Amino acid sequence: MLLALDILSTAAILFLVALGLLAIFGVLKIINFAHGAWLTVGAYCAVLAARLGLNPWAAVPLAFVVGLTLGGLAEILIIRPLYRRPLDAILATWGLGIVVGQLITLVFGRDVQFAPALLPGAWRIGGVEYSAYRLFAIFAALLAGALYALMFETTRLGLLARAVIMNETLARALGIDTARVRLFTFMLGTGLAGVAGVLLSPLTSVDPNMGVAWLIGAFMLAMVADASYVALGLASLAFGAVQVLVSAYVSPVLGGVAVAVLAALALRLRPRGFARG
Amino acid sequence: MKASRLALLACLFAAPAVAADGPIVIGVPVGLSGANSVVAPSVVQEAQLAVDEINAAGGVLGRKLALEVADDASGAAGAQKAFDSLIYQKKVDVLISMETSAARNAGLPAVGKGKTPYIYTSFYEGHSCNKYLYVDAWVPEQQVPPIVDNFKAKGAKTYFLIGSDYAFGRGMLGFTRGYVEKTGGKVLGEEYLPMDGADWTPIISKLKEAKPDALVTSTAGGAPNVTLTKQMRAAGIDIPYANLAVDEGTAKSMGPDATGIYLSASYVTGIDSPENKKFLEAAQKRFGAELKTPNDLSVPEYEAVYLYKAAVEKAGTTEASKVIEALPTVSFTGPRGAIQMTKQHHAPLTMYLGQVQADGSVKVAAKFDNVDPGEQCPNLK
Amino acid sequence: MAEAHSPLTGLRAPALFALIGAAAVAAAPPFLDAFASNVLTRSMLYAALAVTVDLLWGYTGVLTFAQGAFFGVGAYATALMLTHLGATPALFVAALALAIVLPAALGALVGWISFYHGSTPLFASVISLVFPIVATQLVYSGGAWTGSSSGLVGYDVLPLEGEGFFRLAGLLLVAVLVAAWVFVRSDAGKLLIAVRDNEARCAYLGLDPKRIQIALTAILAAVAGLIGFVFANASSVVAPENVGFVFGTEIVIWVALGGRATLFGPAFAAIGIDYLSAQLSGDLPFLWQLVLGSLFVVTIIVAPEGAAGLARRLWRGGTAAPPRLLSLEAAPRETKAGPLLAVRGLSRGFGALTVLREIDLSVKSGELLSLVGPNGAGKTTLMRCLSDGREPFRGEIAMGGQDIAGRPPNRVAALGVGRKFQVASIFEGLSVADCLRLARASHETPSAWRASAALALPAPCVEVVKLTGLIDQLGAPARLLSHGLKQALELAMVLALEPQLVLLDEPTAGLTKGERTLIGEVLVKLTAGQGCAVVLVEHDFDFVREISSRIVVLHQGRLVMDGTVEDVANSALVREIYSGGGHG
Repeated sequence: MLLALDILSTAAILFLVALGLLAIFGVLKIINFAHGAWLTVGAYCAVLAARLGLNPWAAVPLAFVVGLTLGGLAEILIIRPLYRRPLDAILATWGLGIVVGQLITLVFGRDVQFAPALLPGAWRIGGVEYSAYRLFAIFAALLAGALYALMFETTRLGLLARAVIMNETLARALGIDTARVRLFTFMLGTGLAGVAGVLLSPLTSVDPNMGVAWLIGAFMLAMVADASYVALGLASLAFGAVQVLVSAYVSPVLGGVAVAVLAALALRLRPRGFARG
Repeated sequence: MKASRLALLACLFAAPAVAADGPIVIGVPVGLSGANSVVAPSVVQEAQLAVDEINAAGGVLGRKLALEVADDASGAAGAQKAFDSLIYQKKVDVLISMETSAARNAGLPAVGKGKTPYIYTSFYEGHSCNKYLYVDAWVPEQQVPPIVDNFKAKGAKTYFLIGSDYAFGRGMLGFTRGYVEKTGGKVLGEEYLPMDGADWTPIISKLKEAKPDALVTSTAGGAPNVTLTKQMRAAGIDIPYANLAVDEGTAKSMGPDATGIYLSASYVTGIDSPENKKFLEAAQKRFGAELKTPNDLSVPEYEAVYLYKAAVEKAGTTEASKVIEALPTVSFTGPRGAIQMTKQHHAPLTMYLGQVQADGSVKVAAKFDNVDPGEQCPNLK
Repeated sequence: MAEAHSPLTGLRAPALFALIGAAAVAAAPPFLDAFASNVLTRSMLYAALAVTVDLLWGYTGVLTFAQGAFFGVGAYATALMLTHLGATPALFVAALALAIVLPAALGALVGWISFYHGSTPLFASVISLVFPIVATQLVYSGGAWTGSSSGLVGYDVLPLEGEGFFRLAGLLLVAVLVAAWVFVRSDAGKLLIAVRDNEARCAYLGLDPKRIQIALTAILAAVAGLIGFVFANASSVVAPENVGFVFGTEIVIWVALGGRATLFGPAFAAIGIDYLSAQLSGDLPFLWQLVLGSLFVVTIIVAPEGAAGLARRLWRGGTAAPPRLLSLEAAPRETKAGPLLAVRGLSRGFGALTVLREIDLSVKSGELLSLVGPNGAGKTTLMRCLSDGREPFRGEIAMGGQDIAGRPPNRVAALGVGRKFQVASIFEGLSVADCLRLARASHETPSAWRASAALALPAPCVEVVKLTGLIDQLGAPARLLSHGLKQALELAMVLALEPQLVLLDEPTAGLTKGERTLIGEVLVKLTAGQGCAVVLVEHDFDFVREISSRIVVLHQGRLVMDGTVEDVANSALVREIYSGGGHG
């Protein structure tokens, strides 16, 4: 039972962290290497909220808005000029991540901070005591996935995004303002990353470089899932399970690389990801 | 002609040694970023307090003390850069600091090559030996027995050990396992995460399955302590829990999660001595609201500066070889009592067994006077 | 005939640099204080690493984050041996060997995973990120053996003092720079740029770009391992940070700022940035990193060629003299009995859509066959199947009696097939002469250190070069050619392969009337005199009628007509097809 809960909660956290990156990768076809920095920004929103004496849950909308705004700026100034140079876009977003990290350090200091627990204590479930917050994470992932699916399948932005994902040139030829779709998608992606950062903060220590550790796993998952959030959910579950099992039975250190190695193998077998068929 | 030219050359070389009127520079490499960054600010404050007090009283041999702080990022690579910078660029006269064992080990080659005295003020796993290295904080021989004896007295027979995967974590838990087994107990599991690891979930699940009577942890000081404790409390772990590497300051930042943790330390703010009272008042006055709780990782720094002062005054010079000869012979009575690094470069210390209370303070349960550090460096005199 | 200048003159500059560099490095230590010497020792080793990344990224177009990890593997291999086995002279040699061989093997493995038929540059970059992460975690999981987070410290090192290590690091840097310099200006060095600019064209010229990328990765991994060996000795500390991907990204940043494909730019950037970082690290750590990060972002967006690249553009130094053109004797070709190209029952579909149906075609040497048909008839698909055996077609295609099924383009080209694309596919980053020389690479392995002063091409190729006026542009950059000349260059490159079967996809698209006539003459000459066969896809029916010996009509994937020019030109069926009547 413990193992099952570990797997579900690990998968949930992977899904939450990777969701923002997936949106950007699917529509803009670039890997936003600043994703780690957005996660960190979100986590520091939680720290800030604690300092200002606000309800810790207020950090969630705060992080979403902050992520949204900064993401919009980044897309206009940095991503747009590199539209035709995807490898260079990776590098530029990595540089952006460094800049954001240093700005955070300047404002908050480089020492490790701690954000308050959003949901302290343990709950009894299935005969075992389990961290309430990790259980909440499962719920949060499902909620986020559902909201994302709703937005993607039913709203106009979602429809436009799907068009751009399938064939951007055609979409543009049909008069769709693809530049705006890309901008809004990028903003949504970074906003989601900020929220994920807040959700991560009670689980781990917060320092200017915390996001980097999650970056690789997140974008490997996003690449395997291509643009499909369903595939992302399944991949998170599958790879999360392997990570937990390897951590439990072999070594926690090797478990940490499980996601990256599995994803690399998966991409080698099916370079287009596993989304279509 | 030749003799006078030789004399001229001799003067040129002698001149720098004679014209040393500038301040005595104390280098402080410390983890301003990374795992130790939670405790580093208090270490810097204690060093600053000692330096200010000594300067106000006239300095050392008529010269003022100055501090040079460098960030070692709590790790090996950062320490190499920090030590290089302090020894070769800033040309410090001595290094006095608290660091992770990874950082200390990485810096020792530079200390040897640069011939700079180094007073290490952090508790650690022991057996680090170098002509220039002196330690005024505790080693496992002084710290672990009170904790295990305490648990045994309470009826604990099985133990689970969790630590950070580097010299300190492994050294401490290795000693603990040995002591537990020597006193008739059994170790059910020993698990490690890298120093910067923050996800203890798989280890916590193993802990739950093992169902031990007591838990002993030894992570790097600072962040790993906090993440492990937070995650354990969130998972509902409430068995007797001793933390070999936590200090009062970090315990305070853990908030309510820290309640009930056993610790064994050479310093707690509750020590009832005139020196400690004087020290706390001075610290409060100097730093006011900015004061970080003085703790077992930072108070030895304060005392070490005074020990260095005593050694320099006894040797009459800051020259390294004379200073390291004088260091084991001088003593300073500070907040922790009388400190003298007489035992193979280590110091006998008074240890306190305590438990963290709900308000973050530490209640002392037992006191052990003058605990011997044991055979740390038999090859050094 | 005596050579106007020996290939050694081009080596004068690198040799001079080698001498001056070595002398400077040997003489510098007394003038540097201990701190600067320590820092520069490390910086120079990093600079050598940066040069290897420049070779991979700047010249070959492979964005790699793994060089830092190969360096770290070499350093750890050294430290592990010295820590656990000891430090006798024999063990030092063993450690050196291990530090070179282990990264090389890992490099070959990483290369094999990253570069395969159909792999994308993004995938290769992703793998180059995964490798350092796996390596770091392996180091952590090594527990007390690898020192885990503590790293390895205090092992015995080479008996050199600080000065000695400075000189060793400096000499290593000079050696790496000189070797890289000589290589990139040699004939073989141009292969790197060719792979970067146009992998497909390399394959169709009979070269194997994937193998080149894998080999380069393995060799440069070995070099990185060697640098790691020196580092482990010079610093006596090896920590997980030396293997991590953050270090790998730092190297990429140095290369980007210094200037891609300039070698010296990345080297100086590495030294400058690392040295300044050490100096400023105490005082303004955040500001410095912030400035660096911002500069990096701005450079990528606004000036991707980096500092040295900008300088090179402004300087506009003298261009090298174009090489002399030589004509090669055609190798006597044994005429085989039977057709050159035999296609039986060829079918190709994309899902539910069938593009080619049961095509039977046979082409003999000396034929000039034109493939006509309306758009969407399947002509380009047919060309693709003929030149790339990996296309999933059904049926048989045999070239010179050999089945091409499963053969990648470079191995089909080895059977004597040369393909020219509709959109001129050349190497934009190279000069015209270099393009042509590379086209010969599958016949004559290019030298890895010499830059040839002469260019020997087969007679038909020389003829195209002369006729189209390319001969006056031999030294010019290929990307500056007019559209017509680019087409001519590509044709010349295909002919340089000495193919037996030439496949041309709309060779006259965008050409003037005069240029068309020229091309037509060349093609006729090819088939008449040289025993080649030519298959061309064309829309210009006049052109087709003038030069073809045989016309084949394709309609809706089926071969509907195959005959002489008169038969086809006068056929009612063809008229119907072209006017849109013949469906069903």
